[in-house]
Amino acid sequence: MNDEAIDRMLAAETGIEPSSGFAGAVMERVRGEAATPPPIPFPWARALPGLAAWAVVLFFAVMASGSAHGPEIAAGPGLWDRFLSGASIVLAAANRYGAGWIALSLLISLGCVMLSMLLTRGKT
Amino acid sequence: MSASDDQEDVAKVLAGESAAFEGIVRRWQGPLVNLAYRFCLDRGRAEDLAQEAFLRAYRALPGWRREGAFSTWLFALATNLYRTELRRIPARSLPLDAVAEPGFRDDTDEKMAADARDRAVRRAVLALPEKYRDALVLFYFHGMDIAEAAGSLRLPEGTLKARLHRGRELLRGKLRLLAGLSWKEAR
Repeated sequence: MNDEAIDRMLAAETGIEPSSGFAGAVMERVRGEAATPPPIPFPWARALPGLAAWAVVLFFAVMASGSAHGPEIAAGPGLWDRFLSGASIVLAAANRYGAGWIALSLLISLGCVMLSMLLTRGKT
Repeated sequence: MSASDDQEDVAKVLAGESAAFEGIVRRWQGPLVNLAYRFCLDRGRAEDLAQEAFLRAYRALPGWRREGAFSTWLFALATNLYRTELRRIPARSLPLDAVAEPGFRDDTDEKMAADARDRAVRRAVLALPEKYRDALVLFYFHGMDIAEAAGSLRLPEGTLKARLHRGRELLRGKLRLLAGLSWKEAR
């Protein structure tokens, strides 16, 4: 079968006519869409200062933890060293309480939710 | 179908007159349903896909940058949706090796045999790897216009030509059995 034969067969494909109610069905959905108020956007402008404050508090909490539990490091020269020391203490404490498993279970839950949403997308 | 009609309707919709979208639907329902049909060979599913494409277009209208024709934008949006949906739920198609259905040789009517062969070729196109399938479907849908097909697929024309060439090669190779159908025509 040569290119011309393939062209002839595929180009000659006859089309189908949309059913009579097709445009009406589309417009019904469009009207529904138009009547639905737009989703409320996440208020980033209000949330950002809070998130920034939370990050600063966390940073100083870790620093304080480093100072309290590692005086020899706290007396050291670098702010970064103190932060790392504090972070390692916090991580060690989290590990004691099984935070790794909690994080893993949360990740698996998130994965399940995202997979379900992916599979059901467009079915509603 | 004039581009200015589309422009006017789009402007009205963006101004809040959603009923003006009906003009767009009436003008483009045939092409969009037919394009979907070529991807799935199933009328019901084609209408569902086209309906979803119109709804997506309605939502995305504010983002249309008016750099090209409205139809180019609409076809690109619809093509993208159809391909995504077919990836999610593939069209029912025969494996390439099973394309030449044995029943064809028993057809007594020449016309029926030719129709069956054409159907088999279309199914064979759907059974091609996605990138070749899309290139062939869009090329023939747009009346063998490379530029239009490349626009719908958002591909450079050279890439589309290469895919068409390779897609035809694959089709030829896999449809060799179909050539045998012409034995009846030769008799």
